[in-house]
Amino acid sequence: MSEMKEMILDAAGRMLKENISKDVVDLLERDDWARGIWALFEETGMFNVAISEKHGGAGGDLEDLLHIVRLTGKYAAPMPYAESTFANFLLEATNQAIVKNIATYSLKEGFHLQNDLISGSLHNVRWARHADYLVARVDSFQGTQIALIDLQKATIEHSNNLASEPRDTIILDKVKPISIAPLSEEQLFYTLSIETAFKIALMTGAIERIYEITVQYSKKREQFGRPIHRFQLVQQHLAQLAGETAIAITAFHNVCAAIQSKDFLHEIAFARIRIEDAITTITSVAHQIHAAIGMTHEYTLHQYTRRLWSWRDEGRNSPFWSNYIADYLLKHDVDLWAYLTKTIGKK
Amino acid sequence: MFQLPTVQFTEEQEAFRLEVRNFLQAHITKGTFTPAIDSWLSGVDPSFSKLIGEKGWIGLTWPKKYGGQERSTLDRYILTEEFLAAGAPVAAHWFADRQTGPLLLRYGTEEQKQFFLPKIAKGECYFAIGLSEPNSGSDLASIRTKAEKVEGGWIVNGQKIWTSNAHVCHYMVALVRTSPYDEKKKHSGLSQLIIDLNAEGVTIVPIKFLSGEYHFNEVFFDNVFVPDNMVVGETGNGWEQGLAELAFERSGPERILSTYLLLEELIKELKHQKNKDGLKQATKLLAQLWALRNLSIGVAKLLESGNAEDVAIPASLVKAIGTKFEQSIPEIARLLVETYPNLEAKRKFDRYMAQAILHAPSFTIRGGTTEILYGMVAKGMVEK
Repeated sequence: MSEMKEMILDAAGRMLKENISKDVVDLLERDDWARGIWALFEETGMFNVAISEKHGGAGGDLEDLLHIVRLTGKYAAPMPYAESTFANFLLEATNQAIVKNIATYSLKEGFHLQNDLISGSLHNVRWARHADYLVARVDSFQGTQIALIDLQKATIEHSNNLASEPRDTIILDKVKPISIAPLSEEQLFYTLSIETAFKIALMTGAIERIYEITVQYSKKREQFGRPIHRFQLVQQHLAQLAGETAIAITAFHNVCAAIQSKDFLHEIAFARIRIEDAITTITSVAHQIHAAIGMTHEYTLHQYTRRLWSWRDEGRNSPFWSNYIADYLLKHDVDLWAYLTKTIGKK
Repeated sequence: MFQLPTVQFTEEQEAFRLEVRNFLQAHITKGTFTPAIDSWLSGVDPSFSKLIGEKGWIGLTWPKKYGGQERSTLDRYILTEEFLAAGAPVAAHWFADRQTGPLLLRYGTEEQKQFFLPKIAKGECYFAIGLSEPNSGSDLASIRTKAEKVEGGWIVNGQKIWTSNAHVCHYMVALVRTSPYDEKKKHSGLSQLIIDLNAEGVTIVPIKFLSGEYHFNEVFFDNVFVPDNMVVGETGNGWEQGLAELAFERSGPERILSTYLLLEELIKELKHQKNKDGLKQATKLLAQLWALRNLSIGVAKLLESGNAEDVAIPASLVKAIGTKFEQSIPEIARLLVETYPNLEAKRKFDRYMAQAILHAPSFTIRGGTTEILYGMVAKGMVEK
């Protein structure tokens, strides 16, 4: 990462840290969101990272964007940053003009194209009620396409995930898309893997935060006359937390490194499978160390554990990627060690 | 939270990996060795060690003037990984290569370096690690074997236990008490001595392992004379010197790959049976291996920059999680492919399964128990 990029990340981290308190995250529960931070992000060009120059991008690459997404996960930022930037990523990937307003996306099946008009319904679309545009997968006899849709023309039914983040149902009835472009099988897989990388980034951020607040708590909280981190059994929990956090962070960094090399599908698959496992351990251990206080709404731990429990089921999750790897191993006569060390076919 | 570097291997490193792999494959085909689980600890074959020495693959990172190749820590990482993945019998020289060499390079006298290192690098001189004693397992500060100063050297009395492969080793680096035991300062007064295992007064008694094999030993010292020039580093500094070795000992691929052969065989069997459900379940193991390699390679990269203090905690973590992983492979594999574990079985899966089950309990004990490592990691976390 260049110095310039580090400055962008520093700025993003500071904005989030200074502006997001527990109350701001709780806005979601009153069906509101962090418009102020959104405006700050807009002013400082955080939405143009990883957008090409021909579309008015500010320089920077996918790795930088993933790091900002990780920070929004770390502060549980209640705004559709990952969704908006990924929607624009999809538009760019299919050579369509990007949008400036709030956008969301969906890569699930549910929309069909007939006579150039889109109909159908999609469930669990992130942030749809607050978005102006939807970038969605549309299937037709001509194959899969990516369409840009004006959400004013949609019916939106509200629904939330475990963390009160908007996950709405969108119903379209013969709506004409603003633009539409084909998506090849290969491109579809590429976009699914980048979507997974975005989720891995969010999850890693939340995991980092859980680690921080749990270690802090174990130092502050006293029982039987000493801080709880001094108890051997609590230490066993803490060490497990450290191990799973280290695995998640290192997996994320390796995904970032691999994404530059194009040969990264298996890395994304392994990272997603392993991080979902880490989430099981981390959420349970963090709550156990916090004991009663961690279960109250007043304390912040749940803002991260509820998100992780939701996010691990969103997008292409570990069953999908396990299936992908199993298929690959069945269809190819590869030596396992060569596969793991990325030396297939080399002698 | 600590952050470990990510590593993309270079083309030269990849070529080296393939060179080692092809060499090992050729020797498997020739019948030089039969691949086996946990071969880095139980696969003793002095003639194979000499072959490795001839290739220049022992002491790979050491200075050329002591018989080394001056190559990088990452090259050494690749080399050891290939040995483990092939199940090669490298146990004879393993500890001398991994621990004694780096110890002597850091603390040894010029005379010791010139005498021992070239012999180790040739694969002709093996070292045992003399840490554990009957009443001090994880609590090393409680060791009692003592060395008393006499004219020209030291007289050693006491006992070491769980000493891997002492019966084939030429020397032992023993941690001994050179000042009387003081309850309040348990860590001070310890020193590292090189003891000739053929010296008068040394008795080696094998301990039969639960698999029926011998690799552990009890080693007794009855008035064994150790000359002054066989003290490593400073007298009384043994504890600090010993700690410096541990990062090398704990973070290596041998804490992840001891049962790799079984995992490979599991995937082969599942593919052969076209068992997609089984393969899907096995991907959890592959993802875990991928994640652990990233951690372990990251620690190797940190070690290359020479910052041993920064890596103590991550190295302990790699050891703790890595050994649980290698231990879990037979437990998961037996649920996915029907097996009758048997050390003499013709089918590799059954044979590796038997070797893996019988060796697995030791993984989370040798080199520091998981419980002790977890305690160290937790202390490191709250101190930050």
